[in-house]
Amino acid sequence: MKKKIFPYLLLTPMILIMGVLVFYPIVATFSYSLKKWKLTAPGDIRFIGLKNYLQILGSDDFWYSMQNTLFILVFVVACTTLLGFFIGTFLNIRVRFSGILLALAVLPWALPPFVNGILWRFVFYSGYGFLNKLLTGIGLTEEPVEFLASRWSLLLVVSIVVVWRSVPFMALVCMAGRQSIPTGFYEAARIDGGSRWQIFRRITLPLMLPFLGVGVTSTSVTAINVFDEIVALSGYSDLAKNILMDSYLTTFTFLNFGEGAAMTYIVLFFALILGIFYLRSLAKEVSYE
Amino acid sequence: MRYAKKTGYVLALILFLIFTAGPFVWTFILSVTPEHAMFTGDGGLLPETVIWDNYTELFSGGQRGSRFFVSLGNSLKAAGLTLCIGIPVALVSAYVLGRMRFRGRELIRSLLLITMVIPVMATIIPLYRMFAEGELLDSLFWLTLVYISSYLPMAVWLISNYFSTIPGELEEAALIDGCGRVQSFLRLILPLSRPIILSVALIMFLNTWSQFQIPLILASSMETKPMAIVVSEFVTKDSIQYGLVAAAGMLALIPPAVAALVFRRYLVAGMTSGSVKG
Repeated sequence: MKKKIFPYLLLTPMILIMGVLVFYPIVATFSYSLKKWKLTAPGDIRFIGLKNYLQILGSDDFWYSMQNTLFILVFVVACTTLLGFFIGTFLNIRVRFSGILLALAVLPWALPPFVNGILWRFVFYSGYGFLNKLLTGIGLTEEPVEFLASRWSLLLVVSIVVVWRSVPFMALVCMAGRQSIPTGFYEAARIDGGSRWQIFRRITLPLMLPFLGVGVTSTSVTAINVFDEIVALSGYSDLAKNILMDSYLTTFTFLNFGEGAAMTYIVLFFALILGIFYLRSLAKEVSYE
Repeated sequence: MRYAKKTGYVLALILFLIFTAGPFVWTFILSVTPEHAMFTGDGGLLPETVIWDNYTELFSGGQRGSRFFVSLGNSLKAAGLTLCIGIPVALVSAYVLGRMRFRGRELIRSLLLITMVIPVMATIIPLYRMFAEGELLDSLFWLTLVYISSYLPMAVWLISNYFSTIPGELEEAALIDGCGRVQSFLRLILPLSRPIILSVALIMFLNTWSQFQIPLILASSMETKPMAIVVSEFVTKDSIQYGLVAAAGMLALIPPAVAALVFRRYLVAGMTSGSVKG
């Protein structure tokens, strides 16, 4: 008998932490999302079914945030995959200082996203930013460009900063993918007279696909959860808000808990779809038998 | 041909260095540039005079400087607490889920893993209510527990994958020799798992140092606000003094950058084993 409860006993701390701080809140958030609940009208809290969701889906504001979210998602995933692939290839070349290069490459991933945002804000700043000094210096523009003042260029800058932080992981995943391919495959292909392009298309790419799958899904989850960089680059303004930011503002600035909760559930829905893909690609085993 | 290859490599190296290290270098330059020189468009990229005023202002114990250093201390305390609680809980859970057979194992494992992708915002509204009602908004301990709840899935996943590479025969032999489960865990599994423990500890430290969204909502007092929140207040609330923000940013990057560079082997190993099964 003692043996049977032993495993559960050992898991108790983990189950308590996850139960109280993750699973209960998730269920509670859902119940909030079905209620009319504004902190500004504390006497008027009641069940209203899916009205919050309908309200959100019918508002232009939500679609504005949705467009921003999708823009960041598409740009970040595309650029991170390409850059990560190239940087992974680049880091795979053995040179004397490979170790240092690798360490340097990982830094943007390791550092606080908010501070990363600040660093890039200095690069793109309109008054004395690096890029403006460079552009005016070589005479490309007369006046400094206001990178952070209009919607699409601000979104572009936000996406670039997120790419900067996501590339290291993608590069490492690509490196691991490349190193997992037995060199015998390449030798055989060369002996059979395969061209470099053919070798890349027929061997490297297909064998790296499972790894790319992990990288792409994990980057997508990162991209729909961007928050810190938006605050660092534009404060809590509406200009580049994504759904997450929208939900934060709705909940904690406008104190509309019901609608804010519903919004996070919309993000959660997308995150879970991506998450299922992510877990599946993680569980896929690559074998060359 | 070889020459072309070499040129290509050097070109790629330069681009890589600009893209990776550029923002750090530029922020450092700004932190030692006099405020008036920042606004001139005609000046070069480098300041004519180098000043350390921003750093001395932070260190001199003024209002902003002390706020900043208190927040660094808070981040450090939170990181320590995270490791002290998070690592043991993750180790034991990973061992049980990976090596023991019991009913509900798969269910618990899957439920834990799926939380890896849940956005913080999806749990934070009820957490905020719980914290507000329990008057926990200035408790570093509870804040840290929330951090830990977001790291546990990753930590348990990485560690249990690592455990599964330790041959079962080793442990069986230990069990036959009269070691109990507890003994074999402490004497055999733990020492063998040093690398993955270091990796996970490093990732937990870096993540705690980076926290922004959770404390933005759950940390309301000077005793709990971590570094990123106080730096963000420098940018969004006060009248902005850019040189000071740049200096604060540089100082805030030192602990994680040093940790990442010194333990780079474990960091890279941890990041890649998260992406590749076992």
